[in-house]
Amino acid sequence: MSAAAEGLRRAARAWKLGLLLLGANLLAAALLAVPLAGMLEDEFGHRESAAGMLHGFDYPWWAEWSGARAGWAKSLGPDLLGSGFAFKNVDLLTRGEIPLRLFRAPDAEEAPVDPLLAAAGGAYLLLHIFLSGGVVSVLRQSRPTFTLRGYLHACGFYFGRFLRITLLVLLAALLLFLVYWPIASFLDARAREAVSERAAHAWLFAKLALLLIGLVKLHLVATYARIVTVAEERQSAVLALLSAAAFFARTALPSLAVAAVMAAFGALAVAGWSAFEHAWNTTGYRTQLFTFAVMQALMFSRILLRLGLWSGLLALYERPGAAGPE
Amino acid sequence: MKRLATAALAAVLALLAACRDDALLPADPRPSARLVLPPPEAAVPVTSPRNASYSIDARLFPDDHRLEGTLVLEWRNTTGQPQSTLPFHLYWNAFRNTLSTSARGVGRRAAKADDDRAFGFAHVSAVKLQGDGSEVDLTPTLRHVAPDDGNADDRTVMEVTTPAPIPPDATARIHITWTSRIPHGATGRSGWVHDYHFIAQWFPKIGVFWKGAWNAHQFHPTTEFFADYGTYDVRLTLPTGFVVGATGALVERTANGDGTETFRFREEDVHDFAWTASRRFLERSGRFEEPGYPPVDIRLLLQPEHEELADRYIEATRVGLKAYGAWSLPYPWRQITVVDPAWASGSGGMEYPTLITGGTGLWAPLPLHSPETVTVHETGHQFWYLLVGTNEFEEAWLDEGFNRYHDRKSMFGAYGPKGFGVRYFGLSGRSNSGWPVLAPRVAIPRGEDLRALLRETGQVDVMTRRAWEYRTPGAYSFNAYTKPALTLQTLENLVGDETMTRILRTYARRHVFAHPTTEDFIAVVNEVTGADWRWYFDETWFSSGLCDYAVEVANTPPPRPAGFLDGPSGPVPAPSPAPADEDLAEPVVTVIRLGEVRLPVEVEVEFADGRTVRETWDGQYRWTRFRYPRGPKVVRASVDPDHRILLDVQPSNNAWVEDRGQARRAARKWAARWMLWVQAFLEMHTVIG
Repeated sequence: MSAAAEGLRRAARAWKLGLLLLGANLLAAALLAVPLAGMLEDEFGHRESAAGMLHGFDYPWWAEWSGARAGWAKSLGPDLLGSGFAFKNVDLLTRGEIPLRLFRAPDAEEAPVDPLLAAAGGAYLLLHIFLSGGVVSVLRQSRPTFTLRGYLHACGFYFGRFLRITLLVLLAALLLFLVYWPIASFLDARAREAVSERAAHAWLFAKLALLLIGLVKLHLVATYARIVTVAEERQSAVLALLSAAAFFARTALPSLAVAAVMAAFGALAVAGWSAFEHAWNTTGYRTQLFTFAVMQALMFSRILLRLGLWSGLLALYERPGAAGPE
Repeated sequence: MKRLATAALAAVLALLAACRDDALLPADPRPSARLVLPPPEAAVPVTSPRNASYSIDARLFPDDHRLEGTLVLEWRNTTGQPQSTLPFHLYWNAFRNTLSTSARGVGRRAAKADDDRAFGFAHVSAVKLQGDGSEVDLTPTLRHVAPDDGNADDRTVMEVTTPAPIPPDATARIHITWTSRIPHGATGRSGWVHDYHFIAQWFPKIGVFWKGAWNAHQFHPTTEFFADYGTYDVRLTLPTGFVVGATGALVERTANGDGTETFRFREEDVHDFAWTASRRFLERSGRFEEPGYPPVDIRLLLQPEHEELADRYIEATRVGLKAYGAWSLPYPWRQITVVDPAWASGSGGMEYPTLITGGTGLWAPLPLHSPETVTVHETGHQFWYLLVGTNEFEEAWLDEGFNRYHDRKSMFGAYGPKGFGVRYFGLSGRSNSGWPVLAPRVAIPRGEDLRALLRETGQVDVMTRRAWEYRTPGAYSFNAYTKPALTLQTLENLVGDETMTRILRTYARRHVFAHPTTEDFIAVVNEVTGADWRWYFDETWFSSGLCDYAVEVANTPPPRPAGFLDGPSGPVPAPSPAPADEDLAEPVVTVIRLGEVRLPVEVEVEFADGRTVRETWDGQYRWTRFRYPRGPKVVRASVDPDHRILLDVQPSNNAWVEDRGQARRAARKWAARWMLWVQAFLEMHTVIG
């Protein structure tokens, strides 16, 4: 827990870095949102649904609009409201749709992510890999400071190695999903045949937990691999991953605890947002600005929690003797 | 450490609480009290013809999924002509093999067999015509027929022939012995899963002589049922320990001393008999008591995991009994049994006389109206299916469509608009499984959840077709449920609620315990309204066209005079124009009929000075235009301003408003909201990689 606390402290001190990452995230999302705004404005022009959507959610308009749309714009819907957006994303993750629909079940019929959005996600992943080199370098400092030039230099310096690590992690994730789908199918069959709905959901949630634990472990190993690469100036992605896996094996419990704390705070942030959206009606420009600020605060907290996780893992890694003999 | 752990726990609990937001519709302890209804008419004064009465003895062998039975059918010939050939339904033979018509069909109810458990059958071993002390064996005359598709492998209809015709008004007494293998219940409406048995359409049932011929259709994936009324006296023998629910009232329960019990149920004036048995059922009871209605005992057989939903099931049953009783006739039977089906069973959401099946999930936030909607709907079938016994094979809209219209009306009156929610991490194909996440501040107005189907499926088929003749299962659902419901809601808006209630009450009273047709209903509409509404049904029920009106406005600036004008002695040059008054216009409102369906509409035009005019248009040609003299601009124009036409597939183009910046603000608001999801979606990519 002290590692989690240390991680949160470092992340808080690196808030400028968080802002930078938020800026990148916002810019990437805005590239899609701005065209959507144009489409919606055309759609609302001289229509009463404009007032309906301005003051609330005009379900008849949305049903009509959504039915007539195909592609990425169709994803605008009430399922994103409240905490729905977070559930939707976790659902997409567990369906193997993230990233680039790489890990979908072999018999999956639906394609819940439009190709354009999937491609945007892929591009963002590349951006994330690039920015990560600088992130680890900054977070290694107990009082993180950075200049943009120095930060970008570190990003470029580690990009190749981090890219190789990511490719290996994607390969590992593919293996994880290849093992998972038959297990999921088996557990679904158990759930379908269960005597009671309670038992059925126990099977279903066990399935979900199994995958999420696997993905979290993979994420932690990948993060340690980046830390090892930067801290020890490793060239080999394979060896960095092996070292990371070995380190994670020794520190699995505290590492998972750090991840659990960050996830819980993330859930709290989403719950806070959901409560806000229940209570607050966005209508005119001023309320829109305020809502936008709250949204970005939510995303900022999400990014800080990511930084907090990385910092927490760094703190574990930096403990005297923690790295152990190689 | 403690603080962090507490914070983590609080976070999870807060998230769960936020997702289970029930704030959209605060729970009302008595939704049935919210209904605003006219007082019900007097209870049904008549009994049914009772021309097909059954006395059944059946024994369940749950370990090997077998059922053995004998029945005596007393069939009175009300056909007005001698009859010697009698058709019987053997529905379970749809599950006999992969060659039946149902198994060859498509859709979720098709009798597809994933494994051997799914196969089942009803095998008739003897048919005898009983007279006064004599008995004629009809078994040698037994043959299977396939009147719908000629499928020689289909065994869902059998015929027997009597040696001499049964004269009109005579009563034949037919004794049948049969054995059944019970199919697994994951697909069909009947069957077993674990120790839960839902036994419906299970005995050889005689067809209906209707419109001058026998009407006994094969069992298709989408079709439901049709039968004559009678008295059912049924004795069911099962191993001890089962909780049993059935059509009618339990009149006798006998311990047989051999590890079995016999339950005797009896009911009058019904046209079918279904039953269920499980050791896991919890039993709860309630009572429906309202002024002007006969009291009804409500018996709920519930899955243990749904115990906390018992009151909601019972209250929804009350809502159905009260609302439909006011809109047609009060429910005349003394009891109704509501069955909450087992998790793995496909028996949910079905109607049988005085017994219905619901269906819900572990997590059932009130705004999602589950189990309420299905309970109200199936309770509604006690009126539109049982009290008025239409032919579900050939005119499915007369029960399902009427019922969908009324279930939405009841739900809206009792529970308010439905919320929007998505269930995550459930089992595919199980709509009630998974964790529900509600969208805050989203309410679905009455009928609006149906309109999307109209856009998608409206042109696939004409509504008035036999249930197995639609092009797709979706077209069946649409034409049996959605389109008639929207058409009736539109009719209600056109004639008024009070007149609509009179129409339905008249129709129900006139055809109670009978088998009316679409034409009978249209005749009642014309009679009650005193007008010929045939055109309306031609445009809707007998058409596959869509209805879509749109309006456009041009606030044309008045022409500025130039050239020559009239002068005292001939044309004179026009004076130099004064500066244009930008608030003035010669507005033109154009109303366009984009769809094929022609309905008369009203058009409301609002001017900048606050003046409002209403125009009418017969909707016959493709468009019409209303021109207004020089004056204030039009700020709003709407076709169908009172939102009467639920059949309009694009309501968003029904109104034109002067844009005062709302479009841009609304667009930015929702694009920003969507962007939050995209931001989180992009961030999710950092989890892998």
